[in-house]
Amino acid sequence: MVSNLLNTFRRLAGGMLVMLLTAGYAYGQDVQVTDARVSLLPGEQPGAGYFQLYNAGDEAVVLVGAESDAFESVELHVSSNQDGMAHMQAVEQVEIAPGERFAFAPKGHHLMLIGREKALKVGDEVDVQLEFADDQRLSVTFDVVSPVSL
Amino acid sequence: MYKGLLVTLASLWLAGCVDTNWRTAETHEIMPPLDFSLVDEDGQAVEAEDYAGKVTLVYFGYTFCPDVCPITLARLAGTLNRLDDDVRDAIQVLFITVDPARDTPEVVKRYTGAFGDEFTGITGERAEIDALTNRMRVTYEYETPNKRGDYIVNHTSAVFAFDREGEARFLIRDSHPITDAVADINQLVTES
Repeated sequence: MVSNLLNTFRRLAGGMLVMLLTAGYAYGQDVQVTDARVSLLPGEQPGAGYFQLYNAGDEAVVLVGAESDAFESVELHVSSNQDGMAHMQAVEQVEIAPGERFAFAPKGHHLMLIGREKALKVGDEVDVQLEFADDQRLSVTFDVVSPVSL
Repeated sequence: MYKGLLVTLASLWLAGCVDTNWRTAETHEIMPPLDFSLVDEDGQAVEAEDYAGKVTLVYFGYTFCPDVCPITLARLAGTLNRLDDDVRDAIQVLFITVDPARDTPEVVKRYTGAFGDEFTGITGERAEIDALTNRMRVTYEYETPNKRGDYIVNHTSAVFAFDREGEARFLIRDSHPITDAVADINQLVTES
């Protein structure tokens, strides 16, 4: 009886552990980020983060923000060209449907990384946490590059 | 009817005579010569005449711009890299800030230095910058600052080309292929 209870508990605990692992792992698997680069110039000017995001899961994912220890603030922005004028504005969120790719790319959506906490140079790496709806987070390593290389 | 056709052909021919048939967009008829009194990246007072003798490419931007400005300047650097050395030596690029409060000579110097020796940062009094943009009929506008005091400036996205005498000749838009920009810059440098 006691041993049965113990077995049940073990199975339950094991099952829960598997579920927990799967939840974290599945999210990392479902949201795939590639080609992550931060374009920076010498000095204190803000940088731009570019990457490809692929939603390999069955449900839409919603990117709602980002943060990094290397910067005071990271914002989602979009550039656009309207009648010959270059505009830039903050974006609240970006939704990526299942099976869809979304490009954060020059002159389009990008991360705006403001206020360097430490000196950065081309060739360095910067960790950025992408924040999704439902408090999901994904840590992504960005390569620091010069805009001239893009 | 033939007369009408003749007039049309004659006016087309005349229009063709006004300026070279650029692959990018012609500006000679719609823009005045380059004229300004500003401050260069070394803090020296400069006039447009100081830049005569070379073909001048002008871009209006601001350094707090992380995406469009560096990408446009990088694309321009890539365009210049496709030119022969002697052609490139006859070209200068002026990055004229529309945000002089943040863009001091030191800041624009460091910013343009990343793109190559042809690039020079220009700043100055806001009133003088306005005088220039008004003459060229290009616009820019400041957005409301956020709580950190950061603000975005929306600005014209074209690159304006002036000949060695400072006459407006053509402008390069984002949508123009690099090969068209290369061809026109080449022609502008070699015509004189």
